[in-house]
Amino acid sequence: MSLSKYISVFKISFVQEFAYRLNFVMWRVRNVMQIFLVFFLWDSVFSDPTRQVFGYNRDKILTYVFGILFIRALVFSARAVDIAGEISRGDLTNVLLKPINYFRYWFTRDLSSKALNLCFAVIEAAILFLILKPPFFLQTDFRILILFAVLLVFAVLIFFGLLLLINMTPFWAPESGWAAQFLFMGIITEFLSGAVFPLDIFPATIQKVLQFSPFPYLLFFPLQTYLGKISLSSMLGGVLASAVWVIILILTLNYVWAKGMRRYAAEGR
Amino acid sequence: MLKKISRYLKVWWLMSRNSFLGFLTQRFGAVIFLTGKLLRFGFFFIFIVFLLKGTKTLAGFNLNQTIFFFLTFNLIDVVSQFLFREVYRFRPLVVSGGFDLVLTKPISALFRSLMGGADVLDLITIPPLVVAIILAGRTLNPSILHSAYYIVLIFNSLVLATAFHIAVLSLGIITLEIDHTIMIYRDLTNLGRFPVDIYKEPLKGILTYLVPVGIMITLPAKAFIGLVSFKGILVSFALGILAISIALRFWDFALTKYTSASS
Repeated sequence: MSLSKYISVFKISFVQEFAYRLNFVMWRVRNVMQIFLVFFLWDSVFSDPTRQVFGYNRDKILTYVFGILFIRALVFSARAVDIAGEISRGDLTNVLLKPINYFRYWFTRDLSSKALNLCFAVIEAAILFLILKPPFFLQTDFRILILFAVLLVFAVLIFFGLLLLINMTPFWAPESGWAAQFLFMGIITEFLSGAVFPLDIFPATIQKVLQFSPFPYLLFFPLQTYLGKISLSSMLGGVLASAVWVIILILTLNYVWAKGMRRYAAEGR
Repeated sequence: MLKKISRYLKVWWLMSRNSFLGFLTQRFGAVIFLTGKLLRFGFFFIFIVFLLKGTKTLAGFNLNQTIFFFLTFNLIDVVSQFLFREVYRFRPLVVSGGFDLVLTKPISALFRSLMGGADVLDLITIPPLVVAIILAGRTLNPSILHSAYYIVLIFNSLVLATAFHIAVLSLGIITLEIDHTIMIYRDLTNLGRFPVDIYKEPLKGILTYLVPVGIMITLPAKAFIGLVSFKGILVSFALGILAISIALRFWDFALTKYTSASS
């Protein structure tokens, strides 16, 4: 595998993000506004600093909110959302003819998007921090920080796998890529990952059921780990579950891709 | 005047029917999209119920009141999306110069751009939402006067929503940017998903008067609960009239900036 061509893809993709600067700025503004809603909601709930609800105190819940800003930038930022359109328009053919691995190509483009979004998220978080002056829970246990980092890597891989699977919908339903993306990535993933509210407001039974899905490992579980809300053995269990999901998604992805390739007829070209 | 209204109603019906036929060509995608919308509603509803079970109150409002705020937000959001879905499709018209064809037709270009394609998916969700509002509203035991306040303030909210959409269209002509502007409008109104009382100053003041999300969404529900005076209602109407006047002037100004590029 030649790394240099992927480095070139990374650089080109990074520069491309600046081609539509206003779009990018607007997208970031939207992210900040979503944080406003969640921040003030929880700030209102925890207006009494001594209050404990759902196992959170004021410091931990507001750290969770700021964590959403970072993890969304790292895990949820992706260019691979364009794959569905590429397949339905027949533009996939252009990439298939190139000496490049399709999955690695899009993963590299995703990485460049994540790098840029993360840079902006850091700046936004600093500004929001100065404006809102929230209390912040700083994790100092080195073991937990390492597990948090490992979980984030797995979260990036799980999200990539889910996104690609959903984006392959147009192989079978060319006009429905946008709708599938809205349902699975815009609604189900968003809510069940804990990006809108922490999942531990749900009753224990629902939480247990959700643990068998890949969604909590995208955001909720890494943040629970960072906040130290779960035991070390549960953290390790989460790392194992994330790894299993990565393997399941890679296998499923290869299977669906092979089926899709047999179905692909380059309509529109 | 009546003749003119009747002509515009006919045109609106024709355009809405065409929009419905377009919807029938993408049934599978539309069903998935509708499922997504219902799921989002369901997730937020469940969240509010579990949250308020744990906290008992939110900014001083109990569970039933918070649900009523949430349903009111959804009603205004869904009705404005149903009426103004065409705004989301406006950009290609301006970018391609196809807007020329709209300008030459013997109907208002603003009417065509704003209401040229009612959304069937949103229409489907309006009746159950109204029923839910009636059921939730009954638990709050409102007086007839407060119910009347609620209804007229909902109309005022739709006037404000119209003003927002006209402003987005106008900005679209000047900057060619619609997609994110309309989504920022949606994000702003989303801040009204919960009563604006949860926000601190100066954000609360901004959301009440400058970007009147509070007047648009929180105020009708507050009036229903009996927390708004007659003076407050008059002020909100004045703001509605002011907003629509500014938006219409902005539209006139934006039209002078249309270059007909690419046509």
